[in-house]
Amino acid sequence: MKNYTLIALSLFSFVVLLSSCGSDDDPPIENPEEIITDVTLTFTPTGGGSAITATAKDPDGDGPQDLEVVSAINLQASTTYTLTITLLNAIENEDVTEEIEDESDDHLFFFAWTGNIFTNPSGNGNADNRADPVNYNDEDTGGLPLGLSTEWTTGDASSGNTFRVVLKHQPKLKTSTSTVNDGESDIDLTWDINIQ
Amino acid sequence: MTKKRKYTIQRSAIAIILFITTVNFSYAQNKDCVKDCSCEITGTILDQSDKKPIAFASVSIKGNAKGTVSNENGFFRISGLCSDEVDLVISFIGYKSIEHHHDIYHEDPQILLAHEDLILESIVVEGTKIESGLTSITESKLDAQELENLNTETFGDVLRSFTGVATIKTGQNVVKPVIHGLHSNRILIINNGLRHENQNWGVEHAPEIDVSLANDITLIKGAASVKYGPDALGGVIIVKPKFPELNNPLRGNFKITGKSNGRSLGSSVSLLKGYDRWAWMVQASGTYQGDLKSPDYYLTNTGTREYSFALGTKYHKKDLDVNFYFSRFNQELGILRGSVTGNLNDLAFALTNEPPEGTQSFSYDINNPHQEAVHQLFKIDGHYNLHSSSIDFQYGFQINQRREFDIRRGTNNSLPAINLELFSHSVDLDWNHPKLGQWSGVIGFQWLYQDNRNIPGTNTIPFIPNFDNTRLGIYFVESRQLGEMTAEVGIRLDAQQTAVRGRDFNNNLFTNDFSYQNVTGTVGMSLPVGPNASFQSNLGTAWRPPNVSELYSFGKHQFILEYGLWRFFENQADVITENERSVPSEVGVKWVNTYSFQNENVALELTGYINVLKNYIYTKPAGVTTTVRGAFPYFIYNQTNALFIGLDASASLSHSKQWESEARVSLLNAKDVKNDQYFVGIPPYELNYNLHYKPQTFWKFRNVQLGLESQYTFKQTRAPRVITVQEINDAKTNDIDLFAADDSDFDFLPPSDGYFLINTHLNFSYNKFDVHFQVKNLLNTSYRDYTDRLRYFSDDVGRNFVLSLKYRL
Repeated sequence: MKNYTLIALSLFSFVVLLSSCGSDDDPPIENPEEIITDVTLTFTPTGGGSAITATAKDPDGDGPQDLEVVSAINLQASTTYTLTITLLNAIENEDVTEEIEDESDDHLFFFAWTGNIFTNPSGNGNADNRADPVNYNDEDTGGLPLGLSTEWTTGDASSGNTFRVVLKHQPKLKTSTSTVNDGESDIDLTWDINIQ
Repeated sequence: MTKKRKYTIQRSAIAIILFITTVNFSYAQNKDCVKDCSCEITGTILDQSDKKPIAFASVSIKGNAKGTVSNENGFFRISGLCSDEVDLVISFIGYKSIEHHHDIYHEDPQILLAHEDLILESIVVEGTKIESGLTSITESKLDAQELENLNTETFGDVLRSFTGVATIKTGQNVVKPVIHGLHSNRILIINNGLRHENQNWGVEHAPEIDVSLANDITLIKGAASVKYGPDALGGVIIVKPKFPELNNPLRGNFKITGKSNGRSLGSSVSLLKGYDRWAWMVQASGTYQGDLKSPDYYLTNTGTREYSFALGTKYHKKDLDVNFYFSRFNQELGILRGSVTGNLNDLAFALTNEPPEGTQSFSYDINNPHQEAVHQLFKIDGHYNLHSSSIDFQYGFQINQRREFDIRRGTNNSLPAINLELFSHSVDLDWNHPKLGQWSGVIGFQWLYQDNRNIPGTNTIPFIPNFDNTRLGIYFVESRQLGEMTAEVGIRLDAQQTAVRGRDFNNNLFTNDFSYQNVTGTVGMSLPVGPNASFQSNLGTAWRPPNVSELYSFGKHQFILEYGLWRFFENQADVITENERSVPSEVGVKWVNTYSFQNENVALELTGYINVLKNYIYTKPAGVTTTVRGAFPYFIYNQTNALFIGLDASASLSHSKQWESEARVSLLNAKDVKNDQYFVGIPPYELNYNLHYKPQTFWKFRNVQLGLESQYTFKQTRAPRVITVQEINDAKTNDIDLFAADDSDFDFLPPSDGYFLINTHLNFSYNKFDVHFQVKNLLNTSYRDYTDRLRYFSDDVGRNFVLSLKYRL
């Protein structure tokens, strides 16, 4: 019996010792680098003039609130624009655009629009068919398009159409024929677009 | 793929039930027999090869004139002993003699004598015992021999051999057992005497247990919370390691297994030796597996690596046993590349795209997504014999580390998205008290302390917060004889205190301290019905406090968003506490009835159960939100009342000495009774029929067995509605709230079709070698399992040839 008491006592003191060093520290702050909260489209007329911007903001990230601002895109008829896309993580105040540039080999922007509103590129974009025309100004290290910068010439005045931008993350999947269905969607946003 | 090599499990169950009488007998011996020289030893002597009883074998006691011979059933009894510990010597002409140190407080020994002309040694197995300590609770067991041919499978798949156990999977590598429709936090796994403490909350977190380290596995189908504590709502799985016996010569084996599907190679080694007063055991195993293959394509990134190591010692002194055990299990599991989706449109494409995206030719590489888990277990336990009573004590320490890697951008791709470390300490004390009048039983105490930490550096806000958990439980279980019937009753009291520290999506700190307590009870009876049958009935309550993930999880989980009970309030993402929303514990009442019958040719077991769960925690769709990544449905945790009703039946029939049939069926109906709806992922009905041919000896081969196993799994008809991605997108575009009128659960796809699988196997022994050959999914059937999350993306595994070779020392 003595033996047992001794064992039990030593066990207990061991346990108490171990548990008393449990940490109740606060969890350290993590930088959620991958979240994109703000997407801005900037249409700059190539012939000069003021740029037109359209944004989408989702300040709560994966929270249940819808996108806060998706302003419509209002372009001039028969005008050529350079579209640049910037991505921001507002929680970390971090420019995600640079990260996409650094990883251009794994990323590709797709575009889709309704109403044949552009004369160049014509059609409805390459989201439904990769071979459809989109005028990419940039490319990755392998010579494949990226899409942070693109060129657009508007047609006649119109309204009530939409303009969709999809950024796909295609690690080891990006090829000259990879489609909007390959890889994971980092961005999938649709704006209303008016040509005035 | 199927893992159905069903052996005659119900036989073991029946053996256990019939064993009750013997156990009652040992209860009767509970007084101090040393004082009045009334100690008694009983046991059985069998032929090791065919397990048939040996009559007229001699049993003597060293240093004592007393002795006896076995009767025609191999049974022997020596009474009138003045000592409760003896050295038995068992011998019989033509067989190898054996010595065994035995005390009467251990289970009855089963002595397996080996023929003199065999290379095998005679061995002693200390008899079957009732794991739960409750004779009224239905138990089934996979013994060492049955487990032998199963132990190269995942833990979950092995458990599927039990009638009433299904699996919930994330592909072939991540398999969790489901007992009577309940899984994860609602069942309890006792590994080596300790509650297996891991990140149990996720469907994609399988228990980190290496079956090749196990000696036997017992399933308890009742709500055995009284004995084991919270979480045992559906049942309890008890995994026992190989453990060394005293006075045993060096035993051991080396096993090597190859499988065609996944081109895997596995091996394991175990060594055991027992001396007079102590014994040791050491084991190691490893598996290296590449991509699995469905009938039509490779399942890219489904390789695995597993390594395990275990060490155990036993020390015996008069009246005292002390055991020490350490084990370590490392796992690296690849997850199908094509199962990764970004938003709902990606999901919609993946649902129709076959073969899945990213499918390549065979490779051993494991890329993202994948999981790495390490589970370490340390324990010291013992048994102290006070003659009229005894004490069991145990201290356990477990470290569970889990890292999960997703496909991420840039350098984050090499960082784990989830990196958790869980430390658990536990102390258990049981006092098997002296008989009080007609009552015998146990009074027990349990203490648990847990520390769960997120390891910094994931670059994501942790999905679950850090927490500390302290839990205390005290209980008693008593039983007595009422005529032929054994009646049992037990009560338990638990209290738990939790301290939580986490960060919300803006990195703001939140903390909370809260506690839960509960009283659980059990009453039951077991009754022999004639010489060949018995009836058991048990009504037990069980409880579990809400898991930290159910309270605090927040964000994207697979292809939906999920918000915990204390993270979403009045349509806002907000950290709240019990003051705003009280979250009572889940409480269950399970009633299990079993009728068993066994004679020479027929074995039958019927188990019917009803499980009523109050405050059952589940997720329900609450809306669709748009993010930069696109639209997502979001689910919130909620509580309801649930009803699970089911039937397990198994029967085996010996047609002749060599031919045997076995049929099994498990039926389960589950419903949310508060909202009158079905749950997602309830296992469908299943039927099995197996045919075995056992010629035993064939030419120079022994233990020859040939088997054909078939399994039909029905389509689940009791499933929630289907809402397609298109319907969600359309509703969002048209600004319609899909869940305003009906917030019942939904699935993106209807349940999988029923499927039929056939396996076959051949076992034989030659010399010191055991050979096991098996073909799984013989017809190379393409199928998808309703309870496999990867059914959205790919077919299950195709045909698989398995060959293992074991050398016995």
